[in-house]
Amino acid sequence: MTRGAPTVGVVKFASCDGCQLSLLDLEDHLLEITGTFDIVEFAEATSRRSPGPYDVLLVEGSVSTEEQAAEILELRAQARTLVTIGACATAGGIQALRNWADHDEYRRAVYAHPEYVASLATSTPVSSHVRVDAELHGCPIDRGELLELLSALAVGRRPQIREDAVCLACKRRGVVCVTVARGIPCLGPVTNAGCGAICPAMDRGCYGCFGPRPEANMPSLTGSFLASGGTRADVARLFEGFTAYAEPFRTTVSDLRGRGPEEDADAQQ
Amino acid sequence: MHSSDEYAERDIDISMLTRVEGEGSLRLRMRDGVVESARLSIFEAPRYFEKLVEGRKPDEVIDIVARICGICPVAYQMSAVHAFEDCFGVEVEDGVRALRRLMYCGEWIESHALHVYLLHAPDFLGYASAVEMAEDHADIVGRGLQLKRLGNDILALLGGRAIHPVSVRVGGFSRVPRRGELDALRHMLDHAVEWSAETLDWVSTLDAPAFERDVELVSLVHPHEYPMNHGRIVSTRGIDVATGAWRDAFEESQVPDTNALHARTRSGTTYLVGPAARVTQCADRLHPRAGAALRQSGLGGAIAANPYWSIAARAVELLHASSEAVDILDAYTRPDVASVAWEPRAGVAAWSTEAPRGLLFHRYEVDASGFVRAAQIVPPTSQNQGRIEDDLVAFTPTMRDASDAELTHGLEQLVRSYDPCISCATHFLDVEIEEVP
Amino acid sequence: MSEAGQGHRYFLARHRLADLIDVLRGAGGRARTVIGPTVEQGAIVYAEIDTAADLPVGWRDEQAPGHYRLRREGDERAFAYAVGPTAWKRHLFPPARVRMEVAAEPGADGTRFEPTQPAASATVLLGARGCELAAMRVQDRVFRGGPYVDDHYADARDAAFVVAVQCTHPASTCFCTSMRSGPGVEAGYDLRLTEIADGFVVEAGTDAGGEVLVSLRLDPADEERAGEAHAAVAACAETVTHRNRGVDPIRARDLDMYPEHPRWDEVAARCLACTNCTMVCPTCFCSRDVQQSVLARPDGTVERQWDSCFTAEFAAVAGGSFRSRIRDRYRQWLTHKFSTWWPQFGTPGCVGCGRCIVWCPVEIDVREEIAAIGTSAPESDAQDGGERRGDVDLGPQALTTSPGGVPEPPPRTGTVERVTTETSDTVTLRVRTPPGLEAQPGQFVLAAVPRVGAPPISVSRLEPGTLELTVRSVGPATAALCRLGPGDPLGLAGAYGRGWPIEAARGNDVIVVAGGIGLAPLRPVIDAVLADRDSYGDVSVYVGARTPDDMIYSAEIGTWEQRRDVTAARIVDRAGPDWLGPVGVVTQLFADTAREAASTVAFVCGPERMMQASVDALVDSGMRAESIWLTTERHMECGVGLCGHCQLGPYFVCRDGPVFTAAELGPYLGVEGI
Ligand SMILES: Cc1cc2nc3c(=O)[nH]c(=O)nc-3n(C[C@H](O)[C@H](O)[C@H](O)COP(=O)(O)OP(=O)(O)OC[C@H]3O[C@@H](n4cnc5c(N)ncnc54)[C@H](O)[C@@H]3O)c2cc1C
Ligand code: SF4
Ligand code: SF4
Ligand code: SF4
Ligand code: FES
Repeated sequence: MTRGAPTVGVVKFASCDGCQLSLLDLEDHLLEITGTFDIVEFAEATSRRSPGPYDVLLVEGSVSTEEQAAEILELRAQARTLVTIGACATAGGIQALRNWADHDEYRRAVYAHPEYVASLATSTPVSSHVRVDAELHGCPIDRGELLELLSALAVGRRPQIREDAVCLACKRRGVVCVTVARGIPCLGPVTNAGCGAICPAMDRGCYGCFGPRPEANMPSLTGSFLASGGTRADVARLFEGFTAYAEPFRTTVSDLRGRGPEEDADAQQ
Repeated sequence: MHSSDEYAERDIDISMLTRVEGEGSLRLRMRDGVVESARLSIFEAPRYFEKLVEGRKPDEVIDIVARICGICPVAYQMSAVHAFEDCFGVEVEDGVRALRRLMYCGEWIESHALHVYLLHAPDFLGYASAVEMAEDHADIVGRGLQLKRLGNDILALLGGRAIHPVSVRVGGFSRVPRRGELDALRHMLDHAVEWSAETLDWVSTLDAPAFERDVELVSLVHPHEYPMNHGRIVSTRGIDVATGAWRDAFEESQVPDTNALHARTRSGTTYLVGPAARVTQCADRLHPRAGAALRQSGLGGAIAANPYWSIAARAVELLHASSEAVDILDAYTRPDVASVAWEPRAGVAAWSTEAPRGLLFHRYEVDASGFVRAAQIVPPTSQNQGRIEDDLVAFTPTMRDASDAELTHGLEQLVRSYDPCISCATHFLDVEIEEVP
Repeated sequence: MSEAGQGHRYFLARHRLADLIDVLRGAGGRARTVIGPTVEQGAIVYAEIDTAADLPVGWRDEQAPGHYRLRREGDERAFAYAVGPTAWKRHLFPPARVRMEVAAEPGADGTRFEPTQPAASATVLLGARGCELAAMRVQDRVFRGGPYVDDHYADARDAAFVVAVQCTHPASTCFCTSMRSGPGVEAGYDLRLTEIADGFVVEAGTDAGGEVLVSLRLDPADEERAGEAHAAVAACAETVTHRNRGVDPIRARDLDMYPEHPRWDEVAARCLACTNCTMVCPTCFCSRDVQQSVLARPDGTVERQWDSCFTAEFAAVAGGSFRSRIRDRYRQWLTHKFSTWWPQFGTPGCVGCGRCIVWCPVEIDVREEIAAIGTSAPESDAQDGGERRGDVDLGPQALTTSPGGVPEPPPRTGTVERVTTETSDTVTLRVRTPPGLEAQPGQFVLAAVPRVGAPPISVSRLEPGTLELTVRSVGPATAALCRLGPGDPLGLAGAYGRGWPIEAARGNDVIVVAGGIGLAPLRPVIDAVLADRDSYGDVSVYVGARTPDDMIYSAEIGTWEQRRDVTAARIVDRAGPDWLGPVGVVTQLFADTAREAASTVAFVCGPERMMQASVDALVDSGMRAESIWLTTERHMECGVGLCGHCQLGPYFVCRDGPVFTAAELGPYLGVEGI
């Protein structure tokens, strides 16, 4: 790496490692990235370690234990720019579905000695705990967007990442709408673009892994799913995915299920 | 890391294992040169996947279980989809069967190239990471990255993206590629074969610590093909059960002094799954090119006995997977339908497939509408965990005179040689998040 | 012209369709790519066609709001369907295309901006329908109408050989007869096909089309076949007309007169702002420029990508979006299609193809919306007093374009000569003007930093050989401009837009009202007036700012204040420790002075609310809205009328503005979400 290059850390909480793997999946650019940035912390890839400070800290994973809730506060203090990467970090991840369930029952079902298991009742996004400077959505993130984020940081432009609907990318790509042409429910209209409309291009509906876009019109879309014959539970399951805990999906799921999740507050208790 | 001052009593505490997938630590306690305990512990937070899939339909389960692991999502999708298809009596088209093998080839290439070049090789050559290694060996690291990329390209072509691909459905795929879409990839795969062969040549030149032990090796074995999605679960010591009958031969049992559940054989012994087990048991079903290269390398015996030589097993499988991928592409004709229609049936859906890191067992209890009522998932790393700890106990005395730093390095390298995927291992039955006092 | 001349009808037997495609592919010794209809992904889309077998032979479509299904009829017909999800714009104006290559090597000569050269290959557009040819003519006006043209579009258009097909099987969503675009095809084709029972009646519309017919050696179509073709199209027209009796595009022209109609809220509650309608629409043309570069590499590109007025960032500027609600965006789209397109391009923006109806996932039907808003609007709601526009001839069929204009120019490299710090976040750059760049007071340039962006910046001083730009750092691109130092290169495109009418103000009293950085575009006015002081009557300059520290050109304002022949005053919202002047809003400085309506001209620039208050105060003091000039801010991408971002009612701010009279902006100032 160049002397004086910005320092980058990659850390994780509860997650599958897929988003940090996306960095290693930038095979063609990896050595150029390490030439542009000084990667001082990235346990999955290097035995070099650094407790900070970091110019840029990429955070994967949701906060789901008390240690993690404490650690993210420390990491925030060490990070000039904190970027959450992926559905776990930005939305709580698939594991946030437990926020609607009885956590004790989960523990009892899974562990012989539930009293030793120190997980929190909720799995929450990093932004429920600390200020976040930027987010990369997706389960996993799109490696092109990751490269754009790093490139934008390198030259000082606004990352060319917009809050469009998946539909926009879908139509640019020339994919035929799976809802209109085949009656497949698709979350594209309420989901952040970024993936390039992978699912419709693979002849299936989007399941919302890039999370709800800020102005998702949920009543209209769920209304149309219900009108085309889905039960409330069927429609709820469409949103009970990797970003279910992000608003407004969260409220939609709660409304359709008739019960809400444990509140964020539990995370801090 | 720290150590006690007294020579007689040594604690080696690696609080964060690096260059492994997920977060784990290693704690070893020795008295007078004898290892009292070795504990590979995983502080990856639990995510309760078995509960999360309850009340979900098969195709949703396929999407969800992928998220257990970002390194080998296809493995989770494959075990799940075959379990459901078996339970529902779904017969997929031959073309679909071949594409699923192709997909697994992609994941093996991606995962093995990642491990061989980026995670494991730096140990052999004394670097902290592949990035530092690249400063002296740019061509080698470059080859590894390109190989890895081709694995990803296969996955992206079939599944839309390399990590958490989206196309695997009960009955087939949501979409299968047109012939023409494969051309660019086919052309590149000739390089993958070449690079894989070079990988094996290169790892053969590495120096591995001399450490041999006699272990029970477990993998799928299939009469005609190198094992991926089909066969029987077979061990070097006589286990031979159907892919769905894992529970007949193995169990998850409680290990004294920990609250973690480890997988053991029914007779209570530890065992090893993964590339070394597959290569050892199925050498004669390797692609001819890979089989010949293995024989020529003369490493067959070392792969079975010495965990450090798993790097060679991965190299052999890289060559197998890239060669088989070429064959599948050359024989490809687009299946008439991407997916056949199916109806759910109540029953138990159980299956094992060969993840890059070894046998991956899924079991779902399904109701008549197709909703999952209960689930059990046993990933390779939790099957290997007991074996890893046994090996640590056996290995440490061989480094009796080493400094703490050397010993730590040796132990870390040993753990890494299993390519443990802690994200997978946090499959939530054998997690231990207990504070170690 | 051969005997297969224009106006003659020939018969192509069904089995010879393959020959036609062969000839099209290789006609005239040139290899052409044939793009035509084919079945893919459950729909009839336009893609590359190799043989007649690729065509949707025997397929029928079923279309309704939010609904599209294919069904195999099993007959021999190849074109028995209505338009599907693809529009030809995909091939003429592709979803993404590199528009410019840029570089930022160190050194004064290191900044490079090179537009990519069009290089369209010969293409056959097979199966274009009447509404689609009308849509091409609509886009011709947008992209080739001048003064700046999209040369890639023009090139692709010129390279296209059009095989039109007259419609015989309309969908329930077609309303071409209302928009007078189909189902027949009157103009704009090289060949025209009408499908009949045993083949096609074929006519040539150009010499190139005639040559194809000659090489096919076709027999003339007999009377019976010609009659069958004619009747099929006529029956289709009748069906479409019958189904759409309530659709009245003339009344729809009035849609923009009812910005507060309650129906906008109702449709906004359904609309997902998903952009599907704009993506499938054959006339929608909006685009964004995306900066692309990899890590620290010095080179990069600017890619032009399809954009949509339904996106959140489409109308965003520093400080928020002009259309923050879905309601604002749906209204923008519908009023643009049916009303404001007229003054912009002389046609409606809709050709009645029905795609936006079919491909809207929540079944919103523009026909219902225009009917509801156009017919149920109480007259009193109308913005300009309920006066309806007279009947006009729609006839997009008849419209021809007169291509003209120059390709949008790339930025030219200028050099920063001096940097003056104005406030904590604002600097003035004096730039050596690159050769060929000419600017007028009130115009703006796109100030391009390679790999970062090209924000629009007003010219804040004009001197021979140099110009000044006063830039406030509000985001990454303006921050990059503010970081420039003497000797640094900087790209400048333009200058663009309509400037201040300084010449026309000669002989009048002049009032200049500025808020914050709004003084920057006004300074050239003050410079020009003071340089020729005797030609003007009373000159007054009023400047407002948030705090004394936010006041740009403070010293210079002091010199104006010193002059006897100028009335100058300043005011701040919040005073600082050293402030002795007045505190309040800028209108306080001049509201009480009575004005001579006939001989006073005002120039105003600042935040939108401040401009509105100033206009009100000036009108109250006796001025006419026609003599009050404002400059408006809108999100801009291209600066030359091609990207669609800067629209404000019927205007493109970049081309028709940024300077407008208060009279021109009257209906739009203060309307939320326009
Ligand atoms: C005709 C005109 C003249 C202008 N003159 C000046 C001037 O003399 N001095 C000055 O400092 N500023 C001027 N501006 C405003 C300036 O163009 C914006 O502040 C700048 O584009 C913001 O870009 P950024 O990358 O720094 O900020 P960003 O943070 O990237 O953008 C800030 C916000 O501005 C929006 N925006 C992005 N691009 C544009 C754009 N091209 N036009 C408008 N908004 C945009 C973004 O969507 C975002 O919401 C002018 C704008 C217009 C339209
Ligand atoms: S289409 Fe939707 S679910 Fe599929 S990858 Fe994209 S965002 Fe994720
Ligand atoms: S507005 Fe709708 S009907 Fe009109 S041209 Fe566009 S897509 Fe077709
Ligand atoms: S009108 Fe329909 S297609 Fe258009 S943005 Fe709204 S919901 Fe999407
Ligand atoms: S049309 Fe592009 S900025 Fe005005």
